[in-house]
Amino acid sequence: MKTRYFVGLMAMLLVGLTLSQQSPFQQRVQQAINSGGNKFAETMKQDRDQALCSQYRDKLPPEEVGAFLERQRALIKYPADGKLMGDWKQGEALFTNPRKGNCYACHTGDPKEAGAGRMGPGLVGYGQRGTSEPVVKYTYDKIYNAWASMPCSLMYRAGYHGILTPEETAHVTAFLLDPASPVNAKR
Amino acid sequence: MRDRSLWIGFLVALGLGLSIALTQQQEVDPYKEAERQRELFRQTAGILPGELYAAQGEELFAQKRGPKNASLEACDFGLGPGKLEGALTQLPRYFADTRRVEDLETRIVSCMVNLQGFRPQDIKREDVKALTAFVASKSTEMPINVVPRSSQEIAMYNLGRELWYHRAGDRDMNCAICHDSYAGGKVRLSPVRSPRQGLSNEWPAYRFEADKLYTLEDRIAFCYESVGIHPPEYYSEPMIALSIYMLAEATKGKNKFTELPGFTR
Repeated sequence: MKTRYFVGLMAMLLVGLTLSQQSPFQQRVQQAINSGGNKFAETMKQDRDQALCSQYRDKLPPEEVGAFLERQRALIKYPADGKLMGDWKQGEALFTNPRKGNCYACHTGDPKEAGAGRMGPGLVGYGQRGTSEPVVKYTYDKIYNAWASMPCSLMYRAGYHGILTPEETAHVTAFLLDPASPVNAKR
Repeated sequence: MRDRSLWIGFLVALGLGLSIALTQQQEVDPYKEAERQRELFRQTAGILPGELYAAQGEELFAQKRGPKNASLEACDFGLGPGKLEGALTQLPRYFADTRRVEDLETRIVSCMVNLQGFRPQDIKREDVKALTAFVASKSTEMPINVVPRSSQEIAMYNLGRELWYHRAGDRDMNCAICHDSYAGGKVRLSPVRSPRQGLSNEWPAYRFEADKLYTLEDRIAFCYESVGIHPPEYYSEPMIALSIYMLAEATKGKNKFTELPGFTR
């Protein structure tokens, strides 16, 4: 009786080991990355979903999408005071600071900003959506973790990576939605 | 109403564009500005900085140096010992003597070690850069011709493609985000190209905005730095893998090298 349990346990362990092992090709990739030096290997480390996005070249198969979005949604944190719209002026500085949001590298927010990028969707007039609760929350969530609504989005996860704190995310949200923000100036 | 505001927006953008164009040309057309800067160098110095590096490299190439007191004239870049004409066009490739796939920079280091007897740690990066500029100058404006054939070359190409799509770092970046998804467009003010569009066909190049010579490996390092990932070490597998991937794709796109060393922003 005991031996049967033992054999069963060993079999399960074996299956687990095989499933968690990297393919020979993945092992080879890891070996190449390691050969680039410790610091390179350290910064090239991936979390589970970065690895998944890489594997599928940023186009997830439909059966992966649901669980992916769920995992990413669980990562979103909100400001302690619960206010998802902060100060648009601080938001503007974060939007254009290359070391912080760096949003303007891809998105035009204030059309007066020289050299704003056009790779991402233009955000001029974004505030015409109003400031109802769902709009504010959608905007906040998108900035905090772009992968929670779009798997493997080209947009990076500013809040998840700690580049923007929840409070700072609320400021950038205000920069986009506040009617007084230059994003929404009457033109 | 919407049409009208679109028009006004268009006119404002046009006006803004023009005023920037008049004050800071490089912010509007980086290619034209590079051309202008290049002409200015020609007029005032009579020689381009890239040509100076190449001249320096030529001297280093012919000099008897290192513990073995030998020149690099017997270095085989894949076309036979000392054959430099077009050598860069077929690199990276597999070399039986070192039993690895090497790009131009790595091959130069191998020859400095094997022919001249240098220890790898004693090889100066500046010397390798000058030598790279010199050897590359012999492939000026030639068609790129990197076709992975041996199993080692194909494996290196596959590694490079995998690294190309590898999303990492706190900006969740990979190479493809800029160089595939937005190829042909601009990241802020910088035009971006895909490998097929000939990305990598101007290196080594003198960058006037940095006042430095950048080899392809330097340029790859710069890309990694700008997305918050510590660059791989020089002559390491990731450098060679990405190089063979980009240059093999450039070959598929039937691209030529520019003038080498290139002159760019």
